[in-house]
Amino acid sequence: MGKMQEDARIIRNEEVARMTWLMRLHSPGIAARARPGQFGMVRVREGIDPLLRRPLSFHRIHSGKGEIELLYRVAGKGTWWLSRCQPDSLVNITGPLGNGFTMPDNPSAAIALVAGGIGIAPLFELMVRISESRSKIKAEKMHLFYGARSADELLPAAVFESTDVSVHWSTDDGSFGFSGYVTELLEEWTARAGFRPTELFACGPLAMQHNVARWALARDIPVQLSLESLMACGIGACLGCALPAVHPGGSSAEHYVHVCKDGPIFSAGSIQWRKIRKQQLPSPIFPCD
Amino acid sequence: MAQNPQATAAVPDLSVRLGPLRLKNPVMTASGTFGYGEEFADFLDLGCLGAVVVKGISLLPRPGNPPPRIVETPAGMINAIGLENVGVEVFLASRLPGLRERGVPVIVNIFGNTVEEYAELASRLDGAAGIEALEINISCPNVKQGGMIFGTDPAMAAKVVEAVRLSTGLPLITKLTPNVTRIGEIARAVVDAGSDILSCINTVAAMAVDIFSRRPKLANVMGGLSGPAIRPVALRCTYEVVRSVNVPVIGIGGITGAADALEFLLVGARAVQVGTANFINPATAVEILEGIERFLQVQGLAGIEEFIGTLDTGCLFPFAEESCEWIDLKQP
Repeated sequence: MGKMQEDARIIRNEEVARMTWLMRLHSPGIAARARPGQFGMVRVREGIDPLLRRPLSFHRIHSGKGEIELLYRVAGKGTWWLSRCQPDSLVNITGPLGNGFTMPDNPSAAIALVAGGIGIAPLFELMVRISESRSKIKAEKMHLFYGARSADELLPAAVFESTDVSVHWSTDDGSFGFSGYVTELLEEWTARAGFRPTELFACGPLAMQHNVARWALARDIPVQLSLESLMACGIGACLGCALPAVHPGGSSAEHYVHVCKDGPIFSAGSIQWRKIRKQQLPSPIFPCD
Repeated sequence: MAQNPQATAAVPDLSVRLGPLRLKNPVMTASGTFGYGEEFADFLDLGCLGAVVVKGISLLPRPGNPPPRIVETPAGMINAIGLENVGVEVFLASRLPGLRERGVPVIVNIFGNTVEEYAELASRLDGAAGIEALEINISCPNVKQGGMIFGTDPAMAAKVVEAVRLSTGLPLITKLTPNVTRIGEIARAVVDAGSDILSCINTVAAMAVDIFSRRPKLANVMGGLSGPAIRPVALRCTYEVVRSVNVPVIGIGGITGAADALEFLLVGARAVQVGTANFINPATAVEILEGIERFLQVQGLAGIEEFIGTLDTGCLFPFAEESCEWIDLKQP
């Protein structure tokens, strides 16, 4: 089944952590087609300002009920408007877009996931699916390393109870769990526990993903990173969401991949991290915006 | 809603003639906003469109600019994609055949960094089956002239068009840049050099910066503005170009709906291209087509030709000579 455009009806839209909103939508077409790690382009508002759709990954996909959930951080004008949307109103979504995660081949694999802040969004549906596929076998729990800047930005522990995952928490300011970056926790805990994942999944700020990539590459652990970028179309037409990548022919020639079409899921070794520019990092929201 | 219910019965004739080019309707998709067409096949029937203008093609593949390549601005976006494309060989081998099967006329947008590159590209495409016309992007730097943009100098623009004209028998569209003082002058120069059709406008030179990081928002620093923000500029350019030349003109710039498209047709464009709007609603082009048809029905017009170029710039009271004189007195 291909991509589609759908007017989704909002069932619920509420703040579940600081600046972090959960929107549940009735979107049967997209719910039937979507896989974990894919995303939709959401038109936050009618009219021409903001002009562009916002790419948001699927946090939950309830194909049976024809519903999807989006977890998003209010980070600018677009997501602010989205947070203003009321239940029963419609938002137009195109999707499902992108490649999505590749499910682990070996169901009893030792799986670790690393989430930074809103990076938990696409990982959640993946954890649910892996939990389901492993429900009948005896495997070690998945390990989720989940960090945010502060305790109030974390999802509550209760939401993870339905999944086969043990959560290791961290906050940059030490207000909950390990004090420091989530990548430091990953390094410390795995070393202490002697745990070596055979499959690694990550999503979060670019700097965090870079550290996860370096950690995994040094240990030869395959990792699937869910990356993001500004994007206009989401379907490979505007070519705006480019990231510097390793040339497929192995040459040193300049080469770019596109987050919308080649991703958003990438292996750590495919990205040319050194060539990513400072402008790629997000800027704070202007207080009056 | 309908002012003239009798008129709604007949299906209006949307076909247009642009010099050597005949199209079943005046709605095309603009280069660089519609990929190679295939990307949109899930969202609309490509066969409905007047034509698809594909992403600009160069002789060799180009990787494009480093990111960030786009930034959103009020009612618009600035891009500096850097003309990333697969190159003419891959285009002919693996992009064109699929698009042709969709039953939509294909117009190929071409660009180069020297006059010779433009000419060679045109001759490579000349022999290929299934190409209706070439659109020449002259908003590129001329590497042999210190990087000056071809399209900002009448003589340089004319040289490109002359060279392409000698290399192909295909209908030629020249896409004009708005980043000039007198767009009419450039228009006349490229028509004299053999351009059959003109299209305008390309993006408007623009820039965005971040006050916190104190960095430009695009890695390329400057880029091209598109979207509804540029529509009034594009409309003025189209009007000026229509009045400057005697060849058909295609209007482009910030068109998001049928009413916008009709504005361009009203000032004399014989067709339009839909650009940035394809990103926001991938079915925009088809919706515009349906909207134009409804408009013609409601207006009781038999075809789009009855509307094209019918802008009334006359005086407010055309039957009272005194009123006209009164308006004239205000002129210097």
